[in-house]
Amino acid sequence: MGVLFERYLKGDRVIWLLVMFLFFASLLLIYSSSSSLAFRYHDGNTSYFLIKQAAFLLMGFAIIWFVHLVHYNIWSGLSNLLLGLSIPLLGFTLLFGRNLNAASRWLEIPGLGITIQSSDFAKIALVIYVAKVLSQRQKEIKDFNQLFIPLILPIGLICALILPANFSTAALLGLTCWLMMLVGRVNLKYLLGYSGLGLLLVGLFIVAALHFNFGGRAQTWVNRIENFVSNDEKNDGNYQLEQSKIAIATGGIIGKGPGRSTQRNFLPHPYSDFIYAIIIEEYGVFGGVVIMIFYLILLYRAGLLVKRATRTFPAFLAFGLALLLTLQAFVNMAVATGVIPVTGQPLPLVSLGGSSLMFSSLAIGIILSVSRHQGKKELFEGEEVPVEEAKEKI
Amino acid sequence: MAIGVESNRRFVIAAIIVVFFVAVIFKLFYIQVINKSYKFSADNNVLRYITQYPARGLIFDRYGNPLVVNKPVYDILMVKKQVQSFDTVEFASLLGLTVEQVREAFVLAQKQKGYSPRKAVVLLKQIPPESFARFQEKIYKFHGFEVQPRTVRSYNMPIAAHLFGYVGEVDETVIKSDPYYQQADYIGISGIECSYEKYLRGKKGVKIFMVDVHNRIKASYEQGRYDSVAVPGKSITSTIDAKLQEYGERLMQNKIGSIVAIEPRTGEVLAMISSPSYNPELLVGRDRAANFRSLQQDTLKPIFNRSIMALYPPGSTFKVVNALIGLQEGVLTPETRYSCHGGYTVGRGVGCHIHPSPTNLIQSIQVSCNTYYCYVFRNIIDKKEFGSVENGFSVWKRHVESFGYGNKLNIDLPHELKGIVPSVAFYNKYFRKGGWNSLTIISLAIGQGELSVTPLQMANLASIIANRGYYITPHVVKKIEGLSIDTIYRERHTTTIDPKYFVYIIEGMDLAVNGAPGSGSTARIAALPDIKICGKTGTAQNPHGADHSVFFAFAPKDDPKIAISVYVENAGFGATWAAPIASLMIEKYLKDSISRPFLEQYVLQGNLLDRRAKKK
Ligand SMILES: [Zn+2]
Repeated sequence: MGVLFERYLKGDRVIWLLVMFLFFASLLLIYSSSSSLAFRYHDGNTSYFLIKQAAFLLMGFAIIWFVHLVHYNIWSGLSNLLLGLSIPLLGFTLLFGRNLNAASRWLEIPGLGITIQSSDFAKIALVIYVAKVLSQRQKEIKDFNQLFIPLILPIGLICALILPANFSTAALLGLTCWLMMLVGRVNLKYLLGYSGLGLLLVGLFIVAALHFNFGGRAQTWVNRIENFVSNDEKNDGNYQLEQSKIAIATGGIIGKGPGRSTQRNFLPHPYSDFIYAIIIEEYGVFGGVVIMIFYLILLYRAGLLVKRATRTFPAFLAFGLALLLTLQAFVNMAVATGVIPVTGQPLPLVSLGGSSLMFSSLAIGIILSVSRHQGKKELFEGEEVPVEEAKEKI
Repeated sequence: MAIGVESNRRFVIAAIIVVFFVAVIFKLFYIQVINKSYKFSADNNVLRYITQYPARGLIFDRYGNPLVVNKPVYDILMVKKQVQSFDTVEFASLLGLTVEQVREAFVLAQKQKGYSPRKAVVLLKQIPPESFARFQEKIYKFHGFEVQPRTVRSYNMPIAAHLFGYVGEVDETVIKSDPYYQQADYIGISGIECSYEKYLRGKKGVKIFMVDVHNRIKASYEQGRYDSVAVPGKSITSTIDAKLQEYGERLMQNKIGSIVAIEPRTGEVLAMISSPSYNPELLVGRDRAANFRSLQQDTLKPIFNRSIMALYPPGSTFKVVNALIGLQEGVLTPETRYSCHGGYTVGRGVGCHIHPSPTNLIQSIQVSCNTYYCYVFRNIIDKKEFGSVENGFSVWKRHVESFGYGNKLNIDLPHELKGIVPSVAFYNKYFRKGGWNSLTIISLAIGQGELSVTPLQMANLASIIANRGYYITPHVVKKIEGLSIDTIYRERHTTTIDPKYFVYIIEGMDLAVNGAPGSGSTARIAALPDIKICGKTGTAQNPHGADHSVFFAFAPKDDPKIAISVYVENAGFGATWAAPIASLMIEKYLKDSISRPFLEQYVLQGNLLDRRAKKK
């Protein structure tokens, strides 16, 4: 038993290996792709960003380490608080934190030197919360009214707060929650009903936004200054995509080799949103597929946790977080290859940047914590229903 | 013991992941394998190549007077991404344009191939220096605009538009077929500009700069190691006598037709006039497209170079060719006499005008007797030794072709036509095999029927006679800076006729111009007191309207310096218009003065355009 205990302490070894590999890849890619950023801000000193990212990765690793030691039940207890915190945080950034990157998604935490994206925080908080509610309410899961206040309302509210500033994050989060509810045995009829309602509201928002021009994006030119200087916004996306495709086209099967990217000079965000294009340019389709498969393995490992789980909360939690990361990774890849329109989603655990990396690490830490504690059979009073019981109700 | 997710719900998640996976893989495959365009654009990205355009080579006349030169213009480029709000009205008025023109240019600029808001694209082309100077003073007000200096053609004399040709932007087909050319390059499209494009264009240079993500120039690439400077085009000395060319164009005012003058000894073209012409300046600058369109729509076809592209029946001028063939084949001697009483009466017959009769060979040329040549032509074709009409005709055709008829002379100008000399096969098809004889095709005796020649070929005939039996391929370029011209423009082409026979023809052409009054000479109007002109009139029947007036000549008789052909469409007898024009041209060239102002006035005032209109 002692040996077994030892092994469970370490958590899922495959996930550990995945994370280490992705961190290593991140270091290589950032070194290569940040050259244009370095050119602009630090007199071409590319190691500036390498050192910075190395520090971030170290911090991320620390977060994973500490979090994986913590028992996942703590998140169940904190979930209401975290969700409660994220609402004013999102509201605050929506109203005030609007300068960086034009959209109001960033919040600076003084002293730490990290700008925190409040939506990153809210994403994790919501997934934890949904996992908790789903596990607690397995008994009443078939009841429409019982679901609305504790589940649908918070999901809707958080997504709605993220939506104006970052449509794709809101959509990603919504999809993750939807899939969690699907796994969490929410009645399919209600699920479809709610999602229909949600889509309707989003549609209305878009129509209204276009109609009333709020957000101050589109201004009317009153004087004789013609509109031909104003429509650059939409060309921007095309340009990025064009450059991204050039990167992919020239990458070939095995790529140009580490640090050989030329397109990094032409992609506005080669170190974050378009890092996947740089991966393919330098490491070819081979590298691209390997990275893709790594995220799939992450999801698969989380799926195994669900399968083996004896309790619902950790199962839903680990699966929800893995889903969040994997879906985000796929959106990043889909943008870089032009499958879906340009939207800013970093590649989790790989892209440059503090906020995304910190919260992705948090998610990985929690997943590892779940895997580490799997097999322990504690049952907390009233917190969740044993699997056998839940199964009977379905 | 497991939580277990219902399989259909698990399936939903798997499906979403698979869809993403497949979509991304497919897109990767598509970008890498199917769509090749991204690979090509990769190179243009890191570096910005700024073309240094060379000035085209100048074109001089035969005495070294510059005729075609260059003037500076400025293309205004725009990098859309860097363009900030600006005052359109001021922008337009500085450049001497209307606001509408500027607006339109913005729309068009963004539609052009390869447009990118981050690349410098041409917004306005060929802004003249005056407007540009005004704009340059205020350019600091307009962000995102750049200037590209270019040169375009300028003409010191508004002459020889067809000969020089014009310059325009290359089109897609040229860009695809010749790697030298890129979008927005200029290329010679017709005339000397086209045939000597390789020399005139010079060599483009390039400056290479490194650019940042916003396509802003950062620095010279590798300290300019790979830059190259533009090499100006080579200057060309044409064979044209500018004064003669200008005079010819004046004489041809309000007339349709062509004059070609050649120096027989060298084959150098002294003047090449196609009328109506146009001011070459019209096809330069911002209005080029509009002007070109209106020239193209003109029913008188001013762009069409009649000298090498119009096909006319040679008419009576062709009699000299038949005479030479007759002499060579031994079916005709200088003493051969035929009498003529109003025409040749065998078969459908060929009419003739009133003149002294009978005539010998020389007199037949002097009076241009049709009947005489019907005999001569039939004697050639039906010569016993040939055995058949077909054989006889083939021999005749071979002789005719040795005069440069029925084939391109290969002048150094594009679009030359080869004219028509019918073949045995043609007649066998037109009639039937055995269904034709020398009488059926009797029109050829007097240069009518299925024959057609270009004015250039006609002038070349004058050259052949002046040279007593050979010609040098006519050409319009004398010298290319530092290079010699193609050797084909130095070679002699001899005809199949023995040079000794030419003397009779020359005597006949001398008498046609300088014969005594009442002797029946057809071109006495062309005679000059102190220069012996030898010439022959023609009146080319024309199925589409009034006869064309034709004359070809050379002078002076004993030391020919100029051979000339004149065609005036729908102008009637050769002696009426073509002969006086040729005579004035010869005098102008040889003496540089005009001794017969009354004749000059007569020609200058002649307006034959309305005659054409009446005919319609
Ligand atoms: Zn006669």
